[in-house]
Amino acid sequence: MKLNDEMWVEKYRPKTLDDIVDLTHVVESLQAFLKNPHSMPHLLLAGIPGTGKTTVALCIARQLFGDNWKSFTLELNASDERGINTVRDRIKDFSRYGRTGFGDVPYSLIILDESDQMTGPAQTALRRIMETSSRTSRFILICNYSSKIIEPIQSRCAIFRFSKLDKTAMIEHLKKIAEKEGLQLLEEAAVRIVEYSEGDLRHAINALQTTAAYQTGVIDEQTVLQVFGEASPRQVQLMLNKALSGNFIEARKMMYDLIGQYGFSGSEIVRQMQRELLKVPHLTDTQKAELTDIIGEYDYRLTQGANSDIQLSALLAQFSKFGK
Amino acid sequence: MTNDLLWVEKYRPKKISDVVGNELAKTAFINWLQNKRRRKKAVLIYGPAGVGKTALVNAASNQFNFTIIEMNASDTRTEKAINKVGKPATSFVALDRFSSESKGNILFLDEVDGVFGQQDWGGIKAIINIVKDSLIPVVMAANDSDQKKLRPLKKVCQLIRFQQVRIPLIITTLRRICATENVEAEFEALERIAQNSLGDMRSAINDLQSISEGKQLLALQDTMFLSARNKDIGMYETLKGVFSAESVGEAAMVLNHTSVNYDDFLLSISDNLPLRYPDPADLATAYDMVSRADVFRGRVGTENWHLLRYFFNLLAEAATVSPKTFKPFEFISPPIRIIKLFWTKGKRMKLENICAKIALKCHVSRSTAKTDIVPFVKIMLEKQKSSPIVSWLKLEPDDVDYLIKMNKF
Repeated sequence: MKLNDEMWVEKYRPKTLDDIVDLTHVVESLQAFLKNPHSMPHLLLAGIPGTGKTTVALCIARQLFGDNWKSFTLELNASDERGINTVRDRIKDFSRYGRTGFGDVPYSLIILDESDQMTGPAQTALRRIMETSSRTSRFILICNYSSKIIEPIQSRCAIFRFSKLDKTAMIEHLKKIAEKEGLQLLEEAAVRIVEYSEGDLRHAINALQTTAAYQTGVIDEQTVLQVFGEASPRQVQLMLNKALSGNFIEARKMMYDLIGQYGFSGSEIVRQMQRELLKVPHLTDTQKAELTDIIGEYDYRLTQGANSDIQLSALLAQFSKFGK
Repeated sequence: MTNDLLWVEKYRPKKISDVVGNELAKTAFINWLQNKRRRKKAVLIYGPAGVGKTALVNAASNQFNFTIIEMNASDTRTEKAINKVGKPATSFVALDRFSSESKGNILFLDEVDGVFGQQDWGGIKAIINIVKDSLIPVVMAANDSDQKKLRPLKKVCQLIRFQQVRIPLIITTLRRICATENVEAEFEALERIAQNSLGDMRSAINDLQSISEGKQLLALQDTMFLSARNKDIGMYETLKGVFSAESVGEAAMVLNHTSVNYDDFLLSISDNLPLRYPDPADLATAYDMVSRADVFRGRVGTENWHLLRYFFNLLAEAATVSPKTFKPFEFISPPIRIIKLFWTKGKRMKLENICAKIALKCHVSRSTAKTDIVPFVKIMLEKQKSSPIVSWLKLEPDDVDYLIKMNKF
């Protein structure tokens, strides 16, 4: 076996809409737009991670502009550059002075990934730009939650919802990749990967590639379990367990490590805690629900408050109380 | 006893010699004022409140027959407003300078450090320009000359430093006032007022007036009502005061008088709560309050300052969840986070950098790269250090080393 020169998520990212896994209804209507590019509205693609939103956007770009798609496309990740300045400077400049049109396509394309992370003012600024530049550019906004996009923008877009990918389709896809890589992926191993990835194909493919680094030839269930054990956020688990055993001070120390050494933001930590909570073995489902409610409350306060350390500390304190 | 005037007004120095203490600073200022060939056109007098900065300027100009054109922090001092008053005042030499006894005008900008907020945008630039072009002397007074914004100003000014007035001098002054006001005061009472003022003459005089009101005789026990009422309370004192308070009201009182930075204080409270409440249930309740306080801090933002009162009350509640269990403990200060983040900045930047590379290649955000992709890449590299994905992701050798050595999240 050889490890390939690319991350498989990229290597096996579909190049055209036809190759896309399990999204027939979305693909069909998009194909219709692409037959007559003039008619394509702004698009809003919403859905959970790893279901193909970015892939669809990139496919559209490729199908509109061919191999030179990069010259006609501005790809921004709003979670990295979410302020109003990005909208003002980069998006505005591109939509105004960028190349306009290629062949039959009279516009250039702006792909805004994770656009639900954009601040309110930035979204308001964006709304105006979408209006004034609609002759020369089309937007594809990608987000997890369309509810976080302000309504005026939603009403300017055709909205497509991406639901969790079908398990059998994911297993099929993983097997296809394994075959191309000269690997034999056992049925129960594939099932495990899909199960752990919770409908997130990107996660699944990354896991598959990682298992391939462990073992040549055959991939079995054992290896898969090992990879997920290794790749799961150990620090977050530890922090959670410390808190749940009532040791607030230790748990808080670990929280500071996560922030200090790895630069996790408050919401990233909360997200990971939520993921890991469901895996804690000694809690009943009712307890998990109760704790989820607490996490949710503090996740909300994080967005309202001024200081993420405070909210995280408070969250851990609630967990310690719960544990005692 | 006359109560028509505040004593601080009534006994405001008329002559330079009436200004008590700070002899060096006084001499420096008088030399600057009298010397026609001064090295710098402007002077910045700085020092704590109530030690006689404004008094000296007023007394000196009175004595030497200068006319003062004053601008105070209470006037808005945008660039426009400063130029409106400052420009005409400084670009002409007054005619009466040649005829009468007046020596001319002085532009006096009091409390310059209270100025340069957002509303006073451009104010500092305007002041510097005025100093540069001015034909008359410019005097400025400030409490804290270390403020960053004042730094450019300090370059064009001669600096004169005022210190706290020494306690014996304050006592002497208080005695003189008592004599004039026909109040017979115990020495210990005056001493306590003076000490309580921490070298702030103005507050000492105010205290004296308030506690001797309607009295002929002032005893030590009368001064017991004095609290450290108007002094800046530092972080340590604030924490101590808040945590040892026996009721929400008491804690809120301390918070109302503190001058510590709200955000630092919030972090400090949060750091110290575990020491204060050994019981997890109390701790959880207290943290819930702190968390709510933080939410209000977020709502306050930079404009809704009236919301601060809720912020303070919630913090006060956090500190007094179970007042009876209070035992003194060593406070943690400054906030842990600041120290932590300082030490680990290099590490963090390294990881951020790697995530940025991955994000670019895999069409995800840096944050997703960190949580969803880095853990897998790390394992791949552990298994095969020279994996081809290294060059595809454009990772440097030390990036690879970092990822392999890195502890798991």
